[in-house]
Amino acid sequence: MLFQEILSRLDRFWANRGCVVAPPQDTEVGAGTFYPTTFLRALGPEPWRVAGIAPSRRPADGRYGDNPYRFQYFYQYQVLLKPSPDDVQTLYLDSLYALGIDPKAHDIRFVEDNWESPTLGAWGLGWEVWMDGMEITQFTYFQQVAGFDCRPVSVELTYGLERLAMYLQGKRHAFDVEFAPGVTLGDLRRDMEVQHSRYNFEESDPELQRLLFDKFEVEAYRLLGKGLVYPGYEFVLRSSHAFNLLDARGVLSQTERQGYVQRVRRMAETTARTYLQPADDAEAGPTTARGKGA
Amino acid sequence: MAELLFEIGTEELPSWYVARGEVGLNDLLSSRLAAAELAPESVRVYATPRRLAAWVRGLPESTPRRVEERRGPPANVAFTSEGGLTKAASAFAAKNGVAASDLVRLDDDRGSYVYANVPVGGELAAELLPELLAGVVRDLPAPRKMRWGDEPTPFIRPIAWLVALLDGRVLDVEVAGVRAGGRSRGHRFLAPGEFEVGGGAEYEGELARRFVVADRAKRRAATWQAVRSAAGDAGVTADEAPALLDEVTDLVESPFAILGRFGDEFLELPEEVLATVMIKHQRFFPTRAAGGAFAPAFVGVANTHVADEGVVRSGYEQVLAGRLYDARFFWRSDRRKSLSQHAWGLSGIAFQKELGSMADKAARVGVAARLLMDALGIEGAEAEAAKQALPVFRSDLATEMVFEFPELEGVMARAYALAEGLPAATAEALYGGVRPKTHEDGVPTTPAGAVLSVADKVDKLVGFFALGKRPSGSADPFALRRDGLAVVRVLAERGWPLPVATVVEAAAAAYADGPVSVTTEVQDAVVEFLWDRAASLLTDRGASVPVVRAAVLGSVTVVGAARRALLLEALLQREEMPDLLALYKRAANLSRSEALPEPVGSSAQPVAPGQGVKPELFQEEAEPRLLAALPAALAGAQALLGAAKAQLPGWDIRDAAPVRLSGLEGAMQAVVSLKAPLDDFLDSVHVLSDDLDVRRNRLTLLGEVVRILRQLGSLEQLAVG
Repeated sequence: MLFQEILSRLDRFWANRGCVVAPPQDTEVGAGTFYPTTFLRALGPEPWRVAGIAPSRRPADGRYGDNPYRFQYFYQYQVLLKPSPDDVQTLYLDSLYALGIDPKAHDIRFVEDNWESPTLGAWGLGWEVWMDGMEITQFTYFQQVAGFDCRPVSVELTYGLERLAMYLQGKRHAFDVEFAPGVTLGDLRRDMEVQHSRYNFEESDPELQRLLFDKFEVEAYRLLGKGLVYPGYEFVLRSSHAFNLLDARGVLSQTERQGYVQRVRRMAETTARTYLQPADDAEAGPTTARGKGA
Repeated sequence: MAELLFEIGTEELPSWYVARGEVGLNDLLSSRLAAAELAPESVRVYATPRRLAAWVRGLPESTPRRVEERRGPPANVAFTSEGGLTKAASAFAAKNGVAASDLVRLDDDRGSYVYANVPVGGELAAELLPELLAGVVRDLPAPRKMRWGDEPTPFIRPIAWLVALLDGRVLDVEVAGVRAGGRSRGHRFLAPGEFEVGGGAEYEGELARRFVVADRAKRRAATWQAVRSAAGDAGVTADEAPALLDEVTDLVESPFAILGRFGDEFLELPEEVLATVMIKHQRFFPTRAAGGAFAPAFVGVANTHVADEGVVRSGYEQVLAGRLYDARFFWRSDRRKSLSQHAWGLSGIAFQKELGSMADKAARVGVAARLLMDALGIEGAEAEAAKQALPVFRSDLATEMVFEFPELEGVMARAYALAEGLPAATAEALYGGVRPKTHEDGVPTTPAGAVLSVADKVDKLVGFFALGKRPSGSADPFALRRDGLAVVRVLAERGWPLPVATVVEAAAAAYADGPVSVTTEVQDAVVEFLWDRAASLLTDRGASVPVVRAAVLGSVTVVGAARRALLLEALLQREEMPDLLALYKRAANLSRSEALPEPVGSSAQPVAPGQGVKPELFQEEAEPRLLAALPAALAGAQALLGAAKAQLPGWDIRDAAPVRLSGLEGAMQAVVSLKAPLDDFLDSVHVLSDDLDVRRNRLTLLGEVVRILRQLGSLEQLAVG
């Protein structure tokens, strides 16, 4: 099954189960969890279902394209169901079926894996899903986001698309996966992976990234102070990426690193507070930050 | 008598929780039933990744009936002057549901009151159980619970279904948004449908037919049997790996073992690397060939039986091969450099911004380790091993293998050291020097490794404390408590006569040239921090808090404190001890006007008892009697310490002492025999005599008593009153 076919089947499957199939976010994120459609929508009481491909960047995970599984730029498939439905495990297994994977023909296991994002002030409990010994999906019941208790609880499913595709196509390296007829993932991403790995580890300018972090942070607070949740949050994401680049460059000591994590976390918490504020304020009426855009 | 079947069906529980849940359900259900006066004849529990269940037999149908006597108002309030009942008495009768005429008057030493004899009990189990069972679900202990959906009640993982059957009838239990019924579910993939549960006697069999081995012990045995026979069929032997077997047992409802293979070429990897990749990353059992060396095969345990086992096998093999391929790549590329070359890379790895790089740290650890060896008089081969290890200590942090598999730090240093021809003792020191990494991990097995381990960890503690980054409350972001625990475990296991303060001084001395200044206040704080860790380990092993405080405050070495804790526990079994402790406390209070003797460490030489006491100043008979009793008491205390040291030269105080102290009777008798003369002395002698010479002499004598008894610990921590 071609990579693009996997994508469209997952889109179709989740669309049929009431999900908005949302296009990807266009700022850098470390994972689909950072998408406003996940991070913000997991807050507050309103039901919400969203799915879609979530390209993500983790600069420190670059391996110049050598490692078959690990990349600084990769595709997740991100699903958020709020509130978490009772039959979510069955739903998930059905989605595998939609990809031509018969759960009865494989050793499928839900192995405890708890998730925590110190930068988002978020944590959840759940599993990694193993298929024949390979981790293919992260399954998380969000308990807290940005320090706020999630009520109701959302469940997040994150499929590792490269791994799934490798498995379905029997490839040993993600770059050998056929994306479209005659075009591999390597054709699409290898040069980028090699060059970005060089950039992340050798060429990025730490002083510039420190400066950018500081400026993005100021801008984030300025915008959030005016109630501009979405533009403000984008600057939180940019700060977070600048931190990730510094981290990959190996220039942060343990305490400095902690300091940056705390700063991103405070920004994330301010974002969440700003986003939730109108809900606590009955007089604000229906024109809340929420409900407009996603 | 009735029987109850209660099953909590869940989404997959964490594997480490299954065994705990089994115990937790048994304990909580039993105690709640007992508290409700419904104690059953037996409770049998079942636990799998998807269910916790209990089969309760011999359950009373109702709580026992009895009559409870309740006291009402005093007679003078209950009766009018004419002898009739007052309103207060009638109200009391009504409140307790008895007729006013049934109230009785009783006169006893509490006075004269009216009483109601109220029949209680007889509540039906069927009526009490729904709320009781809901409470069990709500209160089942777990370190971390979660919420799901809109449901506010947390549990370990979402509850999918409940079964609650009392003699085959469904109980109306509702908790966490789930209503109990009589239907359970079989294996997730092999028998996914619901089925009617017959009853407790049928439960296990009904599940077995649906591919669920509900009894945890049976499932563990079946898992090991499956693993062994899959290995045996291929002519290899599976490694026992009990921790892995526990984990795998609780990852499946039914075990299906599958043997897979990997390429011979990966056998060039050290066994620990192969084992780490197989066990930690894939939960596979390594196997060995006839000679005992690793075979290129493994056993994985699937949760399900598939039509074509080849699909699962090839998945297992492909994932494992990917990881082994990486590992072999690192193994080869790392060995292109020597460990000394890798050690250069430590200057590029930050230890902590203000404390320099890992290379800076390694230099400090070298200084501290040499000081410790001098203090301990370690020389010869062990000193040589440590000195050879120091220049390359922790150099494996700079290797690719440890970058990818951080848990192999130390393991790789040893493997690379052996591969480049360094002596085995040096390699072992490099391995031991980073241990214990966790509470479960063992301590270094050689003195050289222990020296490196202590020097390395105390360097971190001293540095972080100097930076003001001490743990507070539950916040310990740099895992300093873990390091502190490791240090006291190593010190105790070695049985070194090395005062805790000396260890900290050695680490502090290594900071003499910076980068931070280590004040005596910082050193004292680290010493106290280490003692707190020792105390927490000793109390974890069951010693009482006062005993541990007495042992710790009366010792300078960790192993001394550990031995004293055991001695004091033994002494406290003696009936004379409470009196002796009270007398000791009086003696200590009185003699406090003189300088209190310093605690005497196990390494101190015995000092003649009664030194400084002038018999010519004695006026009362009790004085010479007490003086005469001192040598035997001192000998007893010394004998106790000596016996403890001989029987327990050293042990890992994470664990219970490996032997029970024995043969202490005579020495204990000698110590407690001090009670009579001391009692007599304190009773009949006016210590604070107006004659200052006499007073000083009596205080000196009491000071000697205190000094002798304090060899066993700071006994004032134990005395009551």
